[in-house]
Amino acid sequence: MFPNARIPYGTWGSSYFPAWQTSALAEVNIGQFAGEAMNRILGLRRVPKSELDYLIIGSTIPWHWKFWNAPLVASCLGRRLPGFHVEQACATGLKAVLLAGAEVQSGANDVVGVLAFDRTSDSPVGVFPERRAHERTMAISHVWDNFGFDPATGLAMLTTAGKAARKYGLERREVEDIAFCRYEQYFAAKESGFLDRVLVPLDVLNVQGRLLGRIDKDAGVRRLTLDGLRHMRELDTCVTTGTQTHASDGMATLLVTTPERARELSPRPEIDIQFVAKAEVRTHPALMPEAPTLAVQKLLDQTGLTMDDMAVVKSHNPFAINDAIFSKVTGHDWTKVNRTGCSLVWGHPQGPTLTRMLIEGLEEAVDLGGGLVLLLGCAAGDVGIAAIFRVTEGGAA
Amino acid sequence: MTKAIRQTTLQTLGLGSVIDIFRNGKLPADAGDLVDRVFGAADERGSLVISGANGIVGAGKMMQLTSRLEPFGVRSISLSRPRTADGLGPQYPGLVEAVGKDRADRIMGNIIRMTYDGKTLPADLAHWRPRFLLESIPELLEVKKAHYRLFREAFPEIEIRSVTSGFPSSELGVGVAHPAFPHAINKVWEIVEEQTSPVTQLLWALGLIPVPVSDDWSFVLDVLFCGITLAGLRYHRATNMPFWKIDKFVRKSVGPNPFRAHDVIGAGGADFLSWSCLHHLSKKYGALFTPTPELEERKETGQNWYPLNHFRPLVDWPVDDEAEFNGFILGALFQMASLILHEQRAPLSHINAIGELCAQFRRGILAMIRSVGAEAAVKTVEAYHRLHPEAAGSCWYPEAFDQIGSPEWQQLYVNAEHDGKVGVITISRETYNGDVDAELNRAVDWLKAEGIGRVIVSGDFHLATQMVGADTSEFYPALDDAEAGHRLAAAWTATARRLHDEFRVSVGFVGGKRCLGGSLELLMHCHYLVAVDDALFGMPEVTLPVLPGMDGCHWPFRKTEPSQWPRLVRLLLTGEPVKAKEAVDWLVDYSGSMQDALATAWSLASGGATGVTKRKLNDGILKDVAAEAGIPVSDNPATEAARKAIMDSIRQSCGVPLPEALDLQARRCADFFTTSFCKHGTIGTEHQRTMVV
Repeated sequence: MFPNARIPYGTWGSSYFPAWQTSALAEVNIGQFAGEAMNRILGLRRVPKSELDYLIIGSTIPWHWKFWNAPLVASCLGRRLPGFHVEQACATGLKAVLLAGAEVQSGANDVVGVLAFDRTSDSPVGVFPERRAHERTMAISHVWDNFGFDPATGLAMLTTAGKAARKYGLERREVEDIAFCRYEQYFAAKESGFLDRVLVPLDVLNVQGRLLGRIDKDAGVRRLTLDGLRHMRELDTCVTTGTQTHASDGMATLLVTTPERARELSPRPEIDIQFVAKAEVRTHPALMPEAPTLAVQKLLDQTGLTMDDMAVVKSHNPFAINDAIFSKVTGHDWTKVNRTGCSLVWGHPQGPTLTRMLIEGLEEAVDLGGGLVLLLGCAAGDVGIAAIFRVTEGGAA
Repeated sequence: MTKAIRQTTLQTLGLGSVIDIFRNGKLPADAGDLVDRVFGAADERGSLVISGANGIVGAGKMMQLTSRLEPFGVRSISLSRPRTADGLGPQYPGLVEAVGKDRADRIMGNIIRMTYDGKTLPADLAHWRPRFLLESIPELLEVKKAHYRLFREAFPEIEIRSVTSGFPSSELGVGVAHPAFPHAINKVWEIVEEQTSPVTQLLWALGLIPVPVSDDWSFVLDVLFCGITLAGLRYHRATNMPFWKIDKFVRKSVGPNPFRAHDVIGAGGADFLSWSCLHHLSKKYGALFTPTPELEERKETGQNWYPLNHFRPLVDWPVDDEAEFNGFILGALFQMASLILHEQRAPLSHINAIGELCAQFRRGILAMIRSVGAEAAVKTVEAYHRLHPEAAGSCWYPEAFDQIGSPEWQQLYVNAEHDGKVGVITISRETYNGDVDAELNRAVDWLKAEGIGRVIVSGDFHLATQMVGADTSEFYPALDDAEAGHRLAAAWTATARRLHDEFRVSVGFVGGKRCLGGSLELLMHCHYLVAVDDALFGMPEVTLPVLPGMDGCHWPFRKTEPSQWPRLVRLLLTGEPVKAKEAVDWLVDYSGSMQDALATAWSLASGGATGVTKRKLNDGILKDVAAEAGIPVSDNPATEAARKAIMDSIRQSCGVPLPEALDLQARRCADFFTTSFCKHGTIGTEHQRTMVV
């Protein structure tokens, strides 16, 4: 797709994603935090920030001084870079990477930083004058009021899950099996040390410069039992608190650059990561969980590839229903999806979700000796997004 | 004939040796005489002109010099370009605080403000007979030279000094008097001139600290200060660590926080000055000094190094690789020091002192190198070259460390002289630390080896203008380790006792403003303590709080009549100082004018008649020392705890024979270091702020 764009292996990183209101991230300007955290991660990866030419940020929840967007976050990072802000709910973290690829491909910039972040904790409340509404003025809590109401359909996010489950005739038991598997996958990856290659512990300071809190775990993630899942109250068809994600806070970052610069910047220059293809769809009203699957189908049609060609599949799954639909439609074994963890388990900070998943997917592909990485996810507005990346080692195609 | 371990620092100013001061009974230069020489006799007194006086340097120096020259009838002319912001007015509140409103008004009233267009001097200027121009205009060589031409054409006899932080005198065509920040109060001036001039000696006579340095780019101070800034910048480029955090680690490791210093001085001007120094140094010496793009950018923008207040840092940073940090920071510094040594930019004691007095170094650069040793210092620089290979190709002189065992290297802070009969030990550091302690021991050893049994212990009349006690950073290890505290207190006390035990006659001399805490404990071990009348003596330990650990809780009691003990108790429990003239007979043996004090000290040391009676030291058990001192109870629990501990220490250490008191008091002192009162007091807080990063 972007033959001159590469993601340099090992120059990336993500914060842990603590559940909303459980960590020091609930108390910070997340834009500032993200900028400083990206700087720290680049430092750990031995990438001087002076290498950056441009910054694309992705976030979906307004933050203090958001008006200034990417240039301000770049200042917090410690460089006065130009940049741009992108946003489309949970598609943001992947779309930002794709736009960075376009920047490099166009020749406009050589090294583009991608930085996605969000803080769902204490999300801002917008006050909107609405002369035509009977309330005259509407106050909307940015996260929860929007989760509960898609103005295009009048329905809640959660309702789309139940509606999609009914459309595909899903069984609660299988959805619970998937959810249980996802938790087991996450804990296995964690215990293996895999996540240590992706996630960076970060100490957050208060205004006095003293430690406010250490962000060193996906706080709020608890090990579920199958029996426990079976006994949870059903909120909508196949939807329980165990089969849906939770809100969280965090950031994730990676770089996109030219093949030459990627080799210079990466600690393992023999690893080559290319963009292959991407697709976006918008499905029928209130069927959001099927949208990623439809995007994958479109992607496979575009590329002529099959699911058998995929070495790694990472699915952003705010509902386990998403994965059930994906496997049912594509025939791909759901146990082979999200083998190193997923957003169903570690939460849903929106902006950085798919960026972290991409990093995990690329690391997994490297472990496998290379191959194609398929990334898919849904986003508010019944949108689905999917993309394929190719990981090769030693220059092999 | 006088023999010395090394040259005295005063000799570098053409002011002779310290032993001569005592032998002659007077200081080697008189401010009134020198004012006449520099500004003309009283009936035709000329004026001081500071050009660029609204700048941060010019304004500060205007305050410092005018406050000292106004009593001599020297008018001060402030010369500035039109439209420059007033830099003198903002100095007034600080001046009032320092000297009171009446004096401040007189000082400000002595300043005549003039503006000029840069091409033509004001017509009225000649009326004030300019005799000395201190040029403080921007660091642009051609502009400076044109400025000097203008003055020389108008006033051919005028003395000119530039405050430049970088240009050598040979480039400027005038002498250099480079002052150190903060300019209104820092007394140090780097001086470049072929021979010590009356101007320089006048600075000394006015109580300032002129330090001769060689005529090389950026002298000593700015090689060190700009150098450590650059070292921090290179580490930043390698690791991305933010400037504020680099500052914290540099402060912990070396002492200064260079980026904060730039912001405090004023990033707009300071960034340009640092860039200018490094730029010119790199032209002469190569890549070791090449400014980084970050400094180039800030030179243009004047942007602060620290984030704005609403963006106080959120994400903390550790040093991930200590060897890398040391390589970048210490390696660069040590290499720069090798250049300074190679070019013999100043006597070693001066090089060392400049870092401490002007660049916040906790220990001078040479003391740092000495403590790690030549071999380790060379390895540190080599490690730096692996991290920053470009630096390897320029101005690296490892052989500069070869003489680390020489007296010049070994006696950076303490010197000794003698005339075959009387010795003088001079201490040129205002606070007492392990370096001073070791050097003092070596000085005592040297005098003993020379067969000297009579000694005066004094400040150096130059780099140290007062003696303010222990360097409290030396206590940090003791906060969590009572044995470390005990070792320190016992060792320093043992050194102090040598002044009493190993000389037939020893005289402590205080010619500066104050002698406090550990410095007083040190000098009180001399057989006699002589001071100028207004010198302040105090034991401020209780205010920190810590316990006196160098015999302070019993030694003065052993030398004083019981009727005077309440005064000593009061001194120890309140921390309030007393003037020397009020402490005669119970703490001080003689006080007088400078000349009288010098003469008395010399007479005592050399065996002449003085009328001063030696107070006998009681080495037995003292009884009933806990005299009522009538001190009101403090509402500060830490103060009360310290008072109780001090009283206990007094009772216990006075209650045993002298030989046992050393260990006992050192132990009490060490125990108190580990209490929460000390940990949450001044020293513990400073330790937290400086060392826990």
